[in-house]
Amino acid sequence: MSTTLFDSSNPARAIAITGSGGSGAVTTGQIMLAAVARAGFYGLMTRSAGPQIRGGESAAMLRYAAQPVACMGDVFDILVGLDWKNIDRFIDEIPLSPDSFILTDPDTGPAPDSLHPAGAKILEIPFKKYTEPVEGGRINMAAIGATGAIAGLPLDALEAAVGDVLGRKGEAVVASSLACVRAAWTDTQAMLCVTPPTGTAPERWNISGNEASGLGAMRGGVRLVAAYPITPASEILEWLAPRLNKVGGVLLQAEDELASVNMIIGASFGGVPSLTATSGPGLSLMAEGLGLAVASETPVVVANVMRGGPSTGIPTRSEQSDLNLALYGFHGDAPHLVLAALDIRDCAFTTQWAVRLAEHLQTVAIVLTDQSLGQSRGVVDPPDSYNGDHRRIRAETPGDAYQRYAITADGVSPMAIPGTPDGMYTGDGLEHTPAGIPSSLHHDHTQQSEKRLRKLQYFDYGEHWAVQSGNGPVCLLTWGSASGAVFEAAERLTAAGSPTRVVALRLLAPLRVEALREALADAETLLVVEQNQGGQCFYYLKSHDVLPAHTRFFGRPGPLALRPGEIITALDEVK
Amino acid sequence: MSTATATDTAPALRAKDYKSEIKPVWCPGCGHFAVLSTVTKALAYLQLRREEVAMISGIGCSSRLPAYVDSYGFHGVHGRALAVASGLKAARPDLTVLVAGGDGDGFSIGGNHFLHACRRNMDMTYIAMDNEVYGMTKGQASPTTAPEWDRCRLTPHGTGVPRFRPAGIALAAGASFIARGFSGDPGGLTRLLVEAIQHRGFSFVHVLSPCLTFRPEHKEWKQRVHPCRLATTNNAAEAARLIQEDDGKATGLLYIEDQPVWQPENEDHADLSEIEAEFRV
Amino acid sequence: MNDNAKIIETVPEFLAHAVALEDESAERYEMLADSMEVHNNDAVAELFRKLMRYSEQHAEEVHSMASGMTLPNIPPWEYNWNCPDTPEGGDCISDALNYLMTPYQALNLAMHNEVRGRDFYAWVSRESPNAEVRRLAGEMASEEQEHVDLLQTMLKQTDITSEAPLEDLDPPNMPDG
Repeated sequence: MSTTLFDSSNPARAIAITGSGGSGAVTTGQIMLAAVARAGFYGLMTRSAGPQIRGGESAAMLRYAAQPVACMGDVFDILVGLDWKNIDRFIDEIPLSPDSFILTDPDTGPAPDSLHPAGAKILEIPFKKYTEPVEGGRINMAAIGATGAIAGLPLDALEAAVGDVLGRKGEAVVASSLACVRAAWTDTQAMLCVTPPTGTAPERWNISGNEASGLGAMRGGVRLVAAYPITPASEILEWLAPRLNKVGGVLLQAEDELASVNMIIGASFGGVPSLTATSGPGLSLMAEGLGLAVASETPVVVANVMRGGPSTGIPTRSEQSDLNLALYGFHGDAPHLVLAALDIRDCAFTTQWAVRLAEHLQTVAIVLTDQSLGQSRGVVDPPDSYNGDHRRIRAETPGDAYQRYAITADGVSPMAIPGTPDGMYTGDGLEHTPAGIPSSLHHDHTQQSEKRLRKLQYFDYGEHWAVQSGNGPVCLLTWGSASGAVFEAAERLTAAGSPTRVVALRLLAPLRVEALREALADAETLLVVEQNQGGQCFYYLKSHDVLPAHTRFFGRPGPLALRPGEIITALDEVK
Repeated sequence: MSTATATDTAPALRAKDYKSEIKPVWCPGCGHFAVLSTVTKALAYLQLRREEVAMISGIGCSSRLPAYVDSYGFHGVHGRALAVASGLKAARPDLTVLVAGGDGDGFSIGGNHFLHACRRNMDMTYIAMDNEVYGMTKGQASPTTAPEWDRCRLTPHGTGVPRFRPAGIALAAGASFIARGFSGDPGGLTRLLVEAIQHRGFSFVHVLSPCLTFRPEHKEWKQRVHPCRLATTNNAAEAARLIQEDDGKATGLLYIEDQPVWQPENEDHADLSEIEAEFRV
Repeated sequence: MNDNAKIIETVPEFLAHAVALEDESAERYEMLADSMEVHNNDAVAELFRKLMRYSEQHAEEVHSMASGMTLPNIPPWEYNWNCPDTPEGGDCISDALNYLMTPYQALNLAMHNEVRGRDFYAWVSRESPNAEVRRLAGEMASEEQEHVDLLQTMLKQTDITSEAPLEDLDPPNMPDG
């Protein structure tokens, strides 16, 4: 055929690659993401896998465009089958349409029947043939070439990407891979006569959400991390381990989450900003320790990368169902901070901001991200840095009259750091007097409870509590990773003549009630969108009396991501 | 074996300078009074600056100790003192970190942290005050209570479960300093505490400290506690044998050995720009 | 006296021992006084505080005797003296220590402490090879004897209650765990 398959004036594409048993689907995705970056585009890559440690079926999903990409969109333009074993596992995650193309090698057998209902067109490409003349030639490299050509990616970007990703495997591997890529690309390009467009490329970063969280922690000043591994948060800890050392910090491996939360309390008591990372089951274990941090006013940050729940749930898939735990999980009246990152870049900003807030307000900050952010990679603009000046207020020269928990106007009492003469006090989970002496008296409990609440309630958090866009009588309200699809849905609607605004919350607790009321003012249609069963944020906001009665909830639990098209449909039903 | 040596000048800080103003609420006759007294004597002997000492505890009568010592302190939740102390020491290796707790806090809910603290061998001293009962919650059997003790409502026929043996477990878990003291022998206990603090590594000091309110029969410990008949050893196998054959009431420094201390290695302080550069496309 | 007790040969050594003994006495009485106060046994608390003050006074006297001298810093475990309840060095885990203890019981406890102190000084005043040490020790032994006599007098004047007081009907409390 000699026609272009896609509209070359719109270089955005969504590509899925599946394969099994060592076919290298994930590596394919990584190389294509790197190619996309080299070509000057923004991109987003996620992946999915079977339960096997190696050799199982896997899929890589990639979307790129000339503007930032924060979700996978509604439909994939291209599905590449390196082979078709167990593809049914991923069918729901790779929606296709009649405008989509399925690339298949006739040598591996036909594409399965289950793919037919979507009506996509089949393109037969002989991946295996391209590998035969090349020693060590791999099918997935041929697939990269062919797919790149069909998608409209320039050859030099693909070649540079192969070097980026496979360079450490040695020259021979790179050479054989390049040979396959070139052969397949050239052939396919000749068939299609596509003129590959390119984007502009100011500085971009290739980063995952978990790496961004780690960076945000370091930017915020964290220098001690306690680590107990858990899917899907372990990469935060693994990324931090060697890098903390470089800046004079420490990573301490804990025996369990009960230890890790208490270790960061100890380190913070010693004056060092501290953090740990976990997921739902670990956060549940940490609840008692975090309550201790609230009561003793010891700053700590927990990065919670949410996954399918409840209990062991679906460790490798995403969901937004730990909000209730983060908000309400401590016994007693224990006000604290809950923040949530909106996308991969925002993992850095939000974590950094959380560290600064926790340090200044001497409290717990839980930063919610999820598997879809944590384990996805994006080609993005460099993450913003939080530029506020908040820091821990230390008692540098405490005198005889020093009181650790003194009642102050803003509720924050200077903290004496061990090593400071005359500042000796005993931090306590027991309710206490301003001097830190345990007390069971009504007066002390009222006064200290009010201090711990006031310091958070009346603090000026500035503009970062939410990201808003657009205007109009229709409003979408969301948080966390659902924001990607929500913003895209709103853009489409606005472009089609239905102005739609979005409020994406970043600071969930304490809730900025007045600011939120103002943001939602005059919304005739209001839809809260989130990825959990019952609408955890929806009911939280209702309990604060900020949602008008006609507000509705749209969402479902994981693992399938919410898509812009679905949100638009849901909105239609509500309008 | 390290020995304490006297200096020839009079000390500047005295034991009572290490006591805070807060009056202990322990029952009169409680063994913990002697532990408090010996801790202050040990700190005074070593002339440690009060602001450079941190005492960490959990929940229980013995965990009240930090409030009575004029140093920095942290009174955390049940069983987690060793974790708090480990985080603190990792962040602030310059501080002298002491951990205080009881048999329930340390060997029941705190058991896992006890194992790993012994194993990690960070430089700190753990003073476990063992009265073979849960005093604060009114007298239940603890892991070190004898299986036949039948005087509590929770286990009216006795627990029927053999005692937890802290010294043996500490040795198996890798502790590099294991000692047993008795609140009724404050001279001996002071010496053990000094050696424990001076030892570089995790020092476990198991202190027999009777609770006269819930285990009044333990007054007879005065007769049963005896100095260990064997000399201190640095041979783990010998120590294992000694501890296994021990009646649990032998005092002294049972085992000491220099082992690698867990200490993070920090490079010089680079800035973040090098790290951020890794992400650039 | 304890068989392990060292012979004291110099005045600074002796004064160091005396300071330690009086300090420890004062510390012990203060702990007992505080403990009784916290447990609302004011009569006994007051008694112990009085005894604490005697010990503190005595300690101050020893300090002034020692002015100008450098006292050796003897490790706390190298002081050996007896407690009447145990055959070798140890604390007094007295059966009588109880928040309901009576002034009579408290005086008996104090008596043991003062007798112990007196016996120590008396022993030094006999056994030390240093004449000046013997003299000083003799003085202190006399002073301790005065305390012992005082306590004897107080004992005679106090109600003899050798039986245990009435049982506290309230069950134990569970404050923080």
